Amino acid sequence: MEQLKFIGKRLIYLAVMLFGVATLVFILTKMIPGDPTVANLSQRALSDPEVVAAYKAKYGLDQPVFVQYLLYMKNLLQFDLGTSIRTNKPVLSELSRCYPATIELALFAIVLAAVFGILFGIISAIRRNSILDQIVRAVSVTGVSIPSFWFALLVLYFFYYKLQILPGPGRLSKAFSAPATVTGLYVIDSLLEGNLPKALDALSHLLLPGIVLAAFTMGLITRTTRSNLLDVMSMDYIRTARAKGLGRTALILKHALGNALIPVLTVIGLGLGNLLGGMVLVETIFNWPGVGQFAYESVLSADFPAIIGVALLIALNYMVINTIVDILYGVIDPRVRCQ
Amino acid sequence: MKKRLLALAMGVVIVLGCTACGGGQDAPSTEQTEGENASNTAGDSGSSTVVIAMGSGFSTLDPGYIYEKYPPLVINACYENLFKFYDNDSAPEPCLADTYEFSEDGMTLTVTLKDGITFASGNPMTSADVLFSINRCKNLQGNPAFIAETIDSMEALDDKTIVFHLTQADSAILSKLTYSSLAILDSAVVKENGGVDTAHASTSDTAQAYLDTTSAGSGMYVMTSYIPDEEVVLEKNPNYWGEATNVDKYIVKIQPDSNTQMMTLSTGDIDVALNMTDDTMAELADAEGVEIINEATKTVGFVMMNMNETYGGPVSNPKVQQAIRKALDYSGMQIICGEGTLTPYAIIQSGFMGSKGERAADYMNLEEAKALLAEAGYADGFDIDMTVTDLDMEGILLTDLAQKIKDDLAQVGINVNIVAQPWAAGYGDAYRDGTLGFTVMYWGTDYNDPNVQLEFLPGGVVGLRAGWTAEMNPELAAMYQETMAATDNDARIAVLEKIQDAMYEDGPFVMVAQAPAHIGYNTRLSGVAISDPYVLDVTLINIQ
Repeated sequence: MEQLKFIGKRLIYLAVMLFGVATLVFILTKMIPGDPTVANLSQRALSDPEVVAAYKAKYGLDQPVFVQYLLYMKNLLQFDLGTSIRTNKPVLSELSRCYPATIELALFAIVLAAVFGILFGIISAIRRNSILDQIVRAVSVTGVSIPSFWFALLVLYFFYYKLQILPGPGRLSKAFSAPATVTGLYVIDSLLEGNLPKALDALSHLLLPGIVLAAFTMGLITRTTRSNLLDVMSMDYIRTARAKGLGRTALILKHALGNALIPVLTVIGLGLGNLLGGMVLVETIFNWPGVGQFAYESVLSADFPAIIGVALLIALNYMVINTIVDILYGVIDPRVRCQ
Repeated sequence: MKKRLLALAMGVVIVLGCTACGGGQDAPSTEQTEGENASNTAGDSGSSTVVIAMGSGFSTLDPGYIYEKYPPLVINACYENLFKFYDNDSAPEPCLADTYEFSEDGMTLTVTLKDGITFASGNPMTSADVLFSINRCKNLQGNPAFIAETIDSMEALDDKTIVFHLTQADSAILSKLTYSSLAILDSAVVKENGGVDTAHASTSDTAQAYLDTTSAGSGMYVMTSYIPDEEVVLEKNPNYWGEATNVDKYIVKIQPDSNTQMMTLSTGDIDVALNMTDDTMAELADAEGVEIINEATKTVGFVMMNMNETYGGPVSNPKVQQAIRKALDYSGMQIICGEGTLTPYAIIQSGFMGSKGERAADYMNLEEAKALLAEAGYADGFDIDMTVTDLDMEGILLTDLAQKIKDDLAQVGINVNIVAQPWAAGYGDAYRDGTLGFTVMYWGTDYNDPNVQLEFLPGGVVGLRAGWTAEMNPELAAMYQETMAATDNDARIAVLEKIQDAMYEDGPFVMVAQAPAHIGYNTRLSGVAISDPYVLDVTLINIQ
């Protein structure tokens, strides 16, 4: 019953928040300078009043702003995000096309970041002030500081162009065609097709962009894990466990890590939310057809329905992720469950 | 626990190792069922698929709406026009047309179609398809509707004969008929999918969604797949009526980054890279199996000085305009724009029929510029704002050109203050309304004909943006109609040369650079060439 109440509350918050986001983004897009007519019609066409009128009528831009808002909200209640001014396709179908690519890459990157970030954080905490600790800390600072677009070009240049040991841009090699769409995640869809070579090929294409995107979040996770683990390791109950003869590995994994990981979960959640919003520069360099590219092109074209659609998607991402993180808190820390 | 950790770590390493080994140079295809044979990878000899990388996507592939740079590459592959440019610098030649004839007064054009033309659907092409296609483009009132504005009406005398009644004699009408928006559609198929060519087409036509996913033309290829912002796949038209090349399939990939294009061309993952830059070309200088083409396009950057003193201030003065012309370092601008850049003699770009070629390399003269400023009453120079927008000219930022112009004019005492303004947030409106005083902009040709440049004359579309009305120079303004009416090429060339001489040193426009295009391609291909109307004419490419 408590669980149902919890879920019910979350759904109401979600609906209210999405409504607020849609309204706020609608107002902001109308306030900022940028006319979709000017952005999308040619110089010649803009000189022709009939062409301009036809274009405005087609996309409802000739209506008063308040009417446009009411029409947009009415459609939104029917899960219709409108038609993209740039591509003339439903925004929902455009997001459905590009979002799975972003999900696949973001999930891969966050798993890499979490696994290696926590591992390095543990090593760094255990070997505090040793050379190993210094190396790990240098790697984590580099990961946080390095510009992603530069790092992307660097890894592509060395591992694909010069050494030729990893595949190039895109989601699949040219020898493979896209798998039949079930989830939109090429690795999973290829496995569902029973095509292991294609699945491995798709996985290999995730490596370079995944490493680039994981670098920043991994750095944060490493530092958070290290500092929290050091705090927990100095607590009385850890000293008691050590005095009772518990080995260091068991001490860390069974007694310390759980408490240290709670703040790390927050970092992972935020990192995933950030990745799911798309990273246009990395997507550009790796030809990854994700939400970042779509959002960038939409902004350039003053494509208001698409801009609002992306904003709603990002808001939804964070809401879902925060809910999952809250649930995981309860899994890791029984005290949270009892509250 | 240690053993578990060790096992987990080893597992991760093994998985990563497997995936890495599955990558690197694209793995030989094990996908016999993918419809490609084992040797069918671009870059390998014997493959009949060509992969092209282009720098940006497009919003539509419906000929009735297209206006962006890259769609003509696809349209030219899948559709055909009555006339076509088979060479970038030549005149338009019959493609679907068999014969054509102008009336004596130039107000009527009669075209007959060739025999045996069929669409990819198998439907035969008739004059009804021509009428439908051109009327649809006009009545959709989209971006390219202007291209048919001199066509008053059309009639089909029989299944193969079309008579065009023009609003005025139009010496560029054949060039206009080569334009991608006037490609001939399979009217039966398009109508089945919501296509309409009536006067209310702008509100009743619903065929765009269909034409954005597949083609309905008579061209050498058929569009079999289009993923927006990702790729377009073109496959050989099995019902093609003409002589096809030996390329069975094109995959056109959207690759915005030039470094990525360079790397994938070098490794053989793509065959043609359309957006190379000076840096990436240098990297490929010694690459085996790769050729680079650097040539000037007809896209031209120009400085605009408003003739209306209210907006132009000092630059509305003809002597100041001449001084600015003399002060600009054209060679320096060519370096900024990259290898292959030209500076045109005047408003007709090099490569167009009737062009007088390039401006003299030693035209710049700072002393003459200072003397002209003194004559105009600005011996000590002056301050002026230059409004610049956030667009780029074939990859060259207009702000970079503006900075160079600022540096050049500083040499003669003109202090330029660069004011940045986004296109969609004020600049576009001001530019069209003729209220910009001093700016640098670019002009991409709407269609591959020198008449497109007549808009720079007094009273023309661009002329008015510089406050240059026909009354300010009636003699020059009259040359607009004189050129339009000159359906004889020699007569047209004579008028165009007069126009260029009149504007070589005078007027509110200084043409500073014809932007270059840099294409890299795999040497297994022949027939690769820069094409202003089609970007790359894939119907001329063969695999050697």
